[in-house]
Amino acid sequence: MSESLSETSKPSELINSVVKNLCALAARAWAKRWIITFTAPTGVGKTTAVDYAERTLGFDHQVIRCKQITTRYTLLQTLALAPGEKWTTHGRNWMRASDLYGRAIERIRQRPYLLIIDESDRLRLDCFEILRDFWDDAKLPMLLVGNEVLTEKLNRQHERLFRRIRIRFEQRPLREADLRKVLEFMGYAIADDEFTLLWKLVGGSPGFAEALLENANEIAASQGAKRGIEALEGALRYFPTLRAAA
Amino acid sequence: MHDMVCRVLRIRPELAIMLLRRGVFTPEEKAEFLQSLPKGSTLFSAPSLGAVQFATMLAQGDTHLAARAVLRNCIRPNELEWLYRLLRFQKPSDKRDELTRAVERALEGRKGNVRKSK
Repeated sequence: MSESLSETSKPSELINSVVKNLCALAARAWAKRWIITFTAPTGVGKTTAVDYAERTLGFDHQVIRCKQITTRYTLLQTLALAPGEKWTTHGRNWMRASDLYGRAIERIRQRPYLLIIDESDRLRLDCFEILRDFWDDAKLPMLLVGNEVLTEKLNRQHERLFRRIRIRFEQRPLREADLRKVLEFMGYAIADDEFTLLWKLVGGSPGFAEALLENANEIAASQGAKRGIEALEGALRYFPTLRAAA
Repeated sequence: MHDMVCRVLRIRPELAIMLLRRGVFTPEEKAEFLQSLPKGSTLFSAPSLGAVQFATMLAQGDTHLAARAVLRNCIRPNELEWLYRLLRFQKPSDKRDELTRAVERALEGRKGNVRKSK
């Protein structure tokens, strides 16, 4: 009974090199009170790794996911206010950004934590300045996760923060065997010729591979057939940049 | 000719017909678009697109058309999620960022666009 169960049960998590590296860097940033950047190309699985870290890290941490407009006010609100607490922006209790900053610093000093910022390449100049202030005033350890733009942005525009970063980690795309493992874990049964084409097109980016495979699945379904190499080649027409690479 | 009609004539026919079916265009634009089609056009026989195909074409196609489709609430939530993911694969540009923001707001259930101070 137990054997058949272990044969059929699928692991709920796949710990690949991206997840391992990100968790290891998070632990290091926390232990040493460092600022660390983790950069990788889009689609490699950074956000999935951040989600995993958020659920599993064994010390206090807070994750911020950047949106297109993440202002210093939203950043301060997230760090200064308790969950569910409202920021009164008018009336007698109006709170200024400096008040929020003071509260955030106080919270960090009382109970330090690791700040993980996903897609931090989307942060604006003033947000990076606030992060630097947090580190200067409260030694807030940080793990900044983003794509290649993050390094460039920090290097060019935020020299003062850049100098405070102890480790700049560049995650390489997944290797061929790892990509296959991830796609199989995601539930895709891929023939060898399909995988060869996928690898040639997307390299070690499971996110991109998933988009291509889903398109191919829909093309095949509209023709009432099973996904094959033709459907995958058909899906390529929706991705002009990849087609040029092929 | 309306600007939107010029744009829709330049995109892939499968996407054009999907947008037409979803009601992205005003009646005037729709009439003008239908008039501009050649006689015996096979446009209406184009097959319906799946969610990922539709989102991929929107992400790769004309940003103005995609933004209008998003702002007029003509895109389903699963298509929006795919559109959001696919936009993040693209190289950053102002147009892409504006569209991403519109998609984010739509995913959050908010309406309208964000006006930037100039």
